[in-house]
Amino acid sequence: MRLLLRRKLLSSKNRLRTMTPWEWSRNAAFVLVGLWMLAGLRYGFHRLLSYLAGVELIGLLLIWKLTAMALLTTFGMIMLSSLIISLSTLFYARDLPFLLRAPIGLRTVFLDKSLETSFFSSWMIALAIFPFVIALGQVLQLGWGFFAVFLALTLPFLLCAAALGMLFTLVLMFLFPSSRTRDVVWVLSSLSVAALYTLLRFSEPEKLIRPDAMKLVAEYLDYLQAPTAPYAPSWWMTKALAAWAKGNWEVFLRQSALLCAAAAGAYGLLLALAGRLYARGYSGAQESRRARNPIDIPKTPELRLAERLGAGREIAILYWRERKCFFRDVKHWSQLVLIGALLCVYLFSISRLPLDTPDLKSLVCFLNIGIAGFVLSALGLRFTFPSISLEGRSWWVVRSSPLTVDSLLLEKWLFSLFPMLLIATALIALSNHLLLADAFIRRLSLASIWLAVGAMTAMGVGLGAVFPRFHVENIHQIESSAGGFVYMACSLAYVGFVVASEALPVRMHFMAKLGRPDAWDPALLALSGAALAAATAAAVALPLALGRRRLERYEGD
Amino acid sequence: MIELQGLTKRFGGLVAVDSLTLEVRPGEVYGFLGPNGAGKTTTVKLLSGLLQPTSGTARIAGFDIVTDTLEAKRRLGLVPDEPFVYPKLTGAEFLRFVGDLHSVDEARQRRRIPELLEMFELQDRGGELVEAYSHGMRQKLVLASILLHEPKALLLDEPLVGLDPKSARLAKEIFRTLASRGCAIFMCTHVLDIAERLCDRIGIMIGGRLKAAGTVEELRRQASCEGSLEDAFLSLTGGSEVAALLRHL
Repeated sequence: MRLLLRRKLLSSKNRLRTMTPWEWSRNAAFVLVGLWMLAGLRYGFHRLLSYLAGVELIGLLLIWKLTAMALLTTFGMIMLSSLIISLSTLFYARDLPFLLRAPIGLRTVFLDKSLETSFFSSWMIALAIFPFVIALGQVLQLGWGFFAVFLALTLPFLLCAAALGMLFTLVLMFLFPSSRTRDVVWVLSSLSVAALYTLLRFSEPEKLIRPDAMKLVAEYLDYLQAPTAPYAPSWWMTKALAAWAKGNWEVFLRQSALLCAAAAGAYGLLLALAGRLYARGYSGAQESRRARNPIDIPKTPELRLAERLGAGREIAILYWRERKCFFRDVKHWSQLVLIGALLCVYLFSISRLPLDTPDLKSLVCFLNIGIAGFVLSALGLRFTFPSISLEGRSWWVVRSSPLTVDSLLLEKWLFSLFPMLLIATALIALSNHLLLADAFIRRLSLASIWLAVGAMTAMGVGLGAVFPRFHVENIHQIESSAGGFVYMACSLAYVGFVVASEALPVRMHFMAKLGRPDAWDPALLALSGAALAAATAAAVALPLALGRRRLERYEGD
Repeated sequence: MIELQGLTKRFGGLVAVDSLTLEVRPGEVYGFLGPNGAGKTTTVKLLSGLLQPTSGTARIAGFDIVTDTLEAKRRLGLVPDEPFVYPKLTGAEFLRFVGDLHSVDEARQRRRIPELLEMFELQDRGGELVEAYSHGMRQKLVLASILLHEPKALLLDEPLVGLDPKSARLAKEIFRTLASRGCAIFMCTHVLDIAERLCDRIGIMIGGRLKAAGTVEELRRQASCEGSLEDAFLSLTGGSEVAALLRHL
């Protein structure tokens, strides 16, 4: 095991040593921006927790309830992330054939890979909880000891969450070694997660944290004091932190010990099971599906359409290949199930917003452009941004063909554009319908989101080409790369700009509704329109131009 | 047909290919030999447009690979050192994809694809996803794909690695047939026997520079060596020290 860890250490050391000054400065810039964002989060949490601390009688209860919910969410996200990543790291990693041929025990290889999975599935999510904990320590004036305790407990907490995800994958791969069955189970798992998520949201948990929804004050207090999830390690961690804050050492030690024992137990169980299940699961993973398809392939529908249109032949050829590859990869389209659930929950949340007046509803529909933009950016990070990198090691096929990089970029853009437009239209049109937005807001929000989707997908493809990673083992490495970060930042900044630039016309609209004469100012309208047009043109053209330049000169990741 | 003029490629401080000048004429099979890391694969990548040269030019059928890249690529067939092909396409679909990219007409594709699959004994597996293929089968599929669009120039990087003896023999016959029809073939290989029997001329590259070039006879003369191509190669590349190195075994 020491040897295996040493190889990782040496790889990292060599990577650092061979970094060029440009790479150093680029990474330093990303770290600085990341720290700045974390500082912003800390500021936000500090304000929220300070407000809660000021609530009489129940302030502290509210703070710890919120902490329990934050830790439970973190735990769930890491578990899900580990479940998805472990399929690649435990069963399809490129170095596995070498490691399994070497005179190393199977459990040692598994332990090495499971530690890697735990790290990759948790570091980013764990980083996001830090600002909350720092704000918590500051608001409750808990001192440095609290942070040290949090750091010490974080390790078993993260290991526990990651181990549960891996346990699921291990058992799944053992029970369903054949690829077709595994695909079916993968889809069923996605369906279960989607159903659970939808059911959880439809149970309207927000009613519980609104005192007016409770019949009695005592009922509300009971809720605040009740465990959020009594058997989840996140609850043990919350209790341990709360006990430390109150100086209740016995509870602190008991809960900490429980958390550490759970982590040790989960890993112990994982390793024990690995000895029995891993070999069969790995062996099954190497088998591929032997589906029979016809050898005689008629002209593809895309090509027929291109010939009828008399244009776009290259794009049609690439589009056909992309469509085939995308829908045959069950890992891609099983996520469509999750998107469906996300849509349902989104619209349900919109329909439950406590809004009284028609104008307020219309205003929310306008602001909804920003929220829908955020959701679409996140989907773009998952589907659009990695599309160039997913050419993978077959990149040579396209690059050595008589094909322009422009055609490839355009095809990737179109492939993402249609489904994203569909989702965006569903999000905005149905939200407008549910909230009975007025005609102006309906038209404006739909036109805006279509414009934004066009720009965001172009940004996703363009920046994906600026930061190509053809040699990664799984898609999460692409999403969580520096390029993914740049894409998210640019996409969110653009969405923010769309909302900001339309704020003026919307203000004029409401002024006109209130009967104010001369509410519409044509000069300001033109200025707002011009700003939006310029920003959209830049958001489309700049990333695509940079991406083309990068791909034409690509010489390795 | 394939012309390299002062072709140079630097990666930072490393000169991978240094002022390489050579020509492969129509109907000629040019063997490109050299120890590991000599710059052979980099040269193939430069010729196929996968990398951009730092300086110098490379022309395929008269078209510059940098300035007339599409015209050059239309006349080019590439078999890379690692035959990675889209795992979620079937073998037949991959051939269709390559055929469409090279504008091979519909009727020809529907006739040729089954023929090519049969030629490489893939007819029973042509409907399966490439992810189920072995390394050798993928290699055969890539070889089949270059025959679909009849290139004027062929770049082969270790084309016989992973092939069974029957397929390797078939591939060699194909290369000779294509050459006899006027195709220029540029082939990197470590298998000196194949180079000796298949290639009309051979170039030996060391440290990014062309150390020697010519027919097998000419190379023997340059190496002042009476033995096989292997002896000449080892003499030119310093490999004759092998015996001394073996003392450490």
